[in-house]
Amino acid sequence: MAAIELEGLTKRFGDVVAVDGFDLTVREGEIFGFLGPNGAGKSTTIDILLDFIRPTAGTATVLGHDAQTAGQAVRSRTGVLPDGYHVYDRLTGRQHVEFAIEMKEGSEDPEALLERVRIADAADRKAGGYSKGMRQRLVLAMALVGDPDLLVLDEPSTGLDPNGAREMREIIREENDRGTTVFFSSHVMEQVEAVCDRVAIIDRGQLVAVDTIDGLRDASETGETLYVYVSDLDEGVLERVRSLDGVDSAAIDDGRLRVSIDGVSKFAALHAIDRVASVQDFSVVESSLEDLFVRYTNDVQEVEA
Amino acid sequence: MTWLTVAKKDFRDAVQSRALWALVGVFVALSIVSTYAYVEVPEMFGSPGGATFGGLLFFTVGLVGLFVPIAAIVVCYKSLAGERELGSIKLLLSLPTTRGQVFAGKVLGRAAVLAFGLSVGLVVGLGFGAALLGELDGVAGLVFVLVTLSFTAVYATIVVGISATTGSTSRATTLALGFFVVFELLWDVVPMGVLYVVEGFSFPTTIPDWVFTVSQLSPSSAYFSSIVALLPDLADAAGADPAQGGPGVEVSAAEPFYASPEVGLVVLLAWLFVPLAVGHARFTAADL
Repeated sequence: MAAIELEGLTKRFGDVVAVDGFDLTVREGEIFGFLGPNGAGKSTTIDILLDFIRPTAGTATVLGHDAQTAGQAVRSRTGVLPDGYHVYDRLTGRQHVEFAIEMKEGSEDPEALLERVRIADAADRKAGGYSKGMRQRLVLAMALVGDPDLLVLDEPSTGLDPNGAREMREIIREENDRGTTVFFSSHVMEQVEAVCDRVAIIDRGQLVAVDTIDGLRDASETGETLYVYVSDLDEGVLERVRSLDGVDSAAIDDGRLRVSIDGVSKFAALHAIDRVASVQDFSVVESSLEDLFVRYTNDVQEVEA
Repeated sequence: MTWLTVAKKDFRDAVQSRALWALVGVFVALSIVSTYAYVEVPEMFGSPGGATFGGLLFFTVGLVGLFVPIAAIVVCYKSLAGERELGSIKLLLSLPTTRGQVFAGKVLGRAAVLAFGLSVGLVVGLGFGAALLGELDGVAGLVFVLVTLSFTAVYATIVVGISATTGSTSRATTLALGFFVVFELLWDVVPMGVLYVVEGFSFPTTIPDWVFTVSQLSPSSAYFSSIVALLPDLADAAGADPAQGGPGVEVSAAEPFYASPEVGLVVLLAWLFVPLAVGHARFTAADL
């Protein structure tokens, strides 16, 4: 059974199409990253999974239940860290967690949960005085109540410092090791790359890619990029470099040649370039998934424009 | 049964509202001052025969009728609209519950907060009055407190219901204040205005019964009528008659059933169920 199954999911707000006909399956037990720039439709999709908003068309099935008609059943097995939430300023951290335990009919010790997210020392302070990062930890603790089968985390590292983001990833992995499916959204590729089994990239309400991290790397011909300083760089040199074997693309960038290579070694490519124009210096850049993400989301914009 | 848990959490949260306790403070101070005034010069406050505990109760009705709507607005207007505006509703609805349960829990929690605050005020005010008068009518006092707490619950329902219809606290404020102005401040005038228009922009010589009935439709009139209906002996003694309600309203001699004070209980019930239905329908259908 799939943990999350979206079929033709569409949500319009007036004229704006926030989510445009998604089909997406998240398998049980995987860590799934939902990646896209701000405003791409990530939160809208998550809000539909949690029945905060209702889809214009299509269906969302979560843990085998329809998200709209059986929301309570969905949420009884789901831990949620929503986006744009607000804590109850006048209640303490402990009261928040106790409330979640009571609502989920769990049997955890609030102290232990707060310990796990490392805010136990602030348990009896009012949450209104918490920092953004502490609130994020508090709501994560609430999400972990009741050993959920699915964790839905909307931008989980918002407000966390690098240490906090690492701890968040550790908790995600620990939960996943217990068999929990994790679905989380982010606009930062780096975070997704670090923990995810599979990734969906969305832009302007549309899915532009769904694949494993490795699959994405391969699929988007991300070889390596060389920056080469040559003597007498001009258009003629550029044209000849472009026609070289194994050169995917080449351009003049800041007085250097930027050359993407594919299928040949860097050494061979440099040699070939050296025969066109003598190489004075070079550097190598491994194409990161960040570039890939930018490329995916920009390509779509260019197509649309 | 998550609504009970929601209600409990909401009570814990809202009972810490400073505005509520400022209001309760004002209510206590007002009721002490006015109780003292009533006991000292009862003829000025509609009890020419001298101050009695029953008379004090009916005198307090007027104070409660003003205090409860204002306190309900202060305590309840943000109950759901505020949670939606801030986003804390997402924390709440991420948990295994339904919007209906959240709505019910909010109504119960806020009603409990209001009832708690009002009870403090009533115990102090009526206790002070009983001590000054040297008499206490336990049964009448109990009936009065129960009806007053029901009225409080009704008003909490109305304002939480209003709050459930919108995700904006400024709109919730406007709606709640609008409700207060129309149904509490202007309601004596509204039926007369309607009559004036219906009769071709002039007043008839006798006021038809329906005007009186309409004037009873406001929650606090219904509350007053209910007290009269349940404590008829005291009402007679205190000279309290809902028919005296409107300014210059002259009720026709024959009293049709809908002009009897019992209708107040029905109206109060309606004020409980209509906001529940409207609020629930709007809240469950909304995109948060």
